[in-house]
Amino acid sequence: MRAPRAQYPLIWRTMDALERFAELVWPSRFQPGLPYVMLLPALVLVGLLVVGLIQIGDASLRTLDTKTFLTSENYTLANYQRVLTEGFFFKVASRSLMGALIVTLVTLIFAFPYAYLMVRTPSSTLRKFLLVALFLPFFIGQVVRAYGWLIILGNQGVVNDALGLVGVSPIRLLYNYPAVLFGLVQYMLPFAVLMLAPALTAIPSELESAASSLGAGWVKTFRYVVLPLSKPGLIGAGLVVSTLSLTDFALPAILGGGTQDFIANAIYDQFFRTSDQGLGATLSLMLVAVGSILVGVVFMLFGAGTLAMGDDGK
Amino acid sequence: MSHDTILSTKIRRRSLLASVAVIAAAAGVSSLGVNRAFAQEPEKPSEIIVRAWGGSWVEALKAGVSDSFTEMTGIAVRHDLTEDNEIQPKIWAAVAQGRVPPIHINWDTTTNATKSALRGVTEDLSDLPNLKDTTDLAKPVGLEGYPIVNTYGYVYVLAYRPEAFPDGPPKSWKDLLDPKLKGRIALYNDGIGFHFPAQVAGGGSLDGIPDDMQPCWDFINEIKAQQPLLGEDPDFTTWFQNGEIDAACTISTNAREAKKNGIDIAWVVPEEGAKFDTDGLWIPKGLPENELYWAKQYINHALTKGAQQVWLDGLGLPGVIPGLTPPADLIGDPSYPVTPEQFKHLIRVSSKIQVEHESEWFAKFKEIMQG
Repeated sequence: MRAPRAQYPLIWRTMDALERFAELVWPSRFQPGLPYVMLLPALVLVGLLVVGLIQIGDASLRTLDTKTFLTSENYTLANYQRVLTEGFFFKVASRSLMGALIVTLVTLIFAFPYAYLMVRTPSSTLRKFLLVALFLPFFIGQVVRAYGWLIILGNQGVVNDALGLVGVSPIRLLYNYPAVLFGLVQYMLPFAVLMLAPALTAIPSELESAASSLGAGWVKTFRYVVLPLSKPGLIGAGLVVSTLSLTDFALPAILGGGTQDFIANAIYDQFFRTSDQGLGATLSLMLVAVGSILVGVVFMLFGAGTLAMGDDGK
Repeated sequence: MSHDTILSTKIRRRSLLASVAVIAAAAGVSSLGVNRAFAQEPEKPSEIIVRAWGGSWVEALKAGVSDSFTEMTGIAVRHDLTEDNEIQPKIWAAVAQGRVPPIHINWDTTTNATKSALRGVTEDLSDLPNLKDTTDLAKPVGLEGYPIVNTYGYVYVLAYRPEAFPDGPPKSWKDLLDPKLKGRIALYNDGIGFHFPAQVAGGGSLDGIPDDMQPCWDFINEIKAQQPLLGEDPDFTTWFQNGEIDAACTISTNAREAKKNGIDIAWVVPEEGAKFDTDGLWIPKGLPENELYWAKQYINHALTKGAQQVWLDGLGLPGVIPGLTPPADLIGDPSYPVTPEQFKHLIRVSSKIQVEHESEWFAKFKEIMQG
């Protein structure tokens, strides 16, 4: 006997209809192509980026005519020649690269024990405290944080006030290279900890116990067990911190007092101050190139670290 | 578009219509120049957008020009506080792509505005009725017609904390080289306002601008050894307030604002002179005709004596309409020049020369300061 229609719930009928619709739109023989379709949005985004880069590349080959403030019709390498020969650009580029290197090293040194403690502590209260302390700065923008440092480190700031209590006259703590690096380290620390934590979590604590039971002290265990096994995290964190530091704009601008520009500041100046979009585009492309080469060299020498996403590290 | 084309103001339908409307309005009786009886008065937009600098700058504009314009026309005025340097590429891109620009009126430095005029993105304002009442200061130097209308002048003074100069006010820009001021002075981060007096302080002459600026660079090199801070308008007030600096080359308005905020600060025009420059208003191309008409009316209104008096009282700057009363605290002040004698100590260089060489001066200044 045929079952009454009422026994076939509405929701099933809806699902059947949807399945028929899906079959119509995307027949099962197309199934192998599904992953590629899912890649499409990402490809569109990357494609837009590539189109933008092509346009920037085009702009970089044109010079500014200051009589009309229009760019030249003809292509020329004059902007590249300027960037490669003028001392100012070399100075700013070397300052940015050196800054990125120092910030990366110092950040990793500070981030490692923080991440280790956060991962290994048996106290859930301490772990929560460390997590909150880590995430709190994310709710405060980079610019606001920089202004916070102006208040703390200024001539009439908290630090100088405290020094004044012990008879030390105000010291200029801001508007110099160390101030910029200090601000960058503070900004980068959470990024590094977040990149290191998964790598440290992946190291079984039993390995450390085994090393200890075999007579290795804390230093030896760290040197021969923890450090080598945390290499993927260190590489991933190092890459993220170095590229973000290399391209930073706000902290050199605010904490540098106008005399400690990084490449991004020089790019801003060309686009918005002198209206020389060609030169700005040239600097932008060269920054992309330097950053890419840096990452490429690290990949070649040390692998991609945690950025390899579960690969063997190469 | 070529340079010649830009400066020779072609007659186009839009310009013609707008001109007819403005001339007709001029025949009216209102001080605004808008004849309400004019039958073809274009449709009023719900608002017009004026780019402005923030803080006391926009407050002064609102009090002097925008509020009274709204009162007379019923058109709301929205102030867009995007930085002048940052709105510029947006306008240029909009005009190049044939889009409606993001603002109706740009309150801009004359130097910056001149770049836009040279690029050909500015509407011609020669037909504003109230231009006939203005002084020569309203006319941009080195450009044909009125792609910009200058609305006031200002001086890059040497502002200082009297406490740091116990022997009396500084007399020369060379006083900034005093070792006790090391790390205690500030300049604009692109050197603007400082190049020309530095040229004189460095032993050169103003005739050497732009071809022989070596004395300027020599003096800036000496200043570099003093480890100056480099910043923008708001930075100077903050630095004075926080005791970070004792002296700065800055626009007198900023120094006056800091003084109003309770900071002990004074200013002088040193013996080598100080740079005098202007700001102005201009309209980007690409606006619908009715909006262009009302944007022009806004600028026309900004050139009335009443609007100028209130606006420039707020800024403490000399306007372009004769007979304005200086604020009480600026009578006889060198930063508020009104007499030929006062103008003799100020340095004014054509905006066209400035924009043509700005990039190289900027690069040289940066090279010295970042080195």
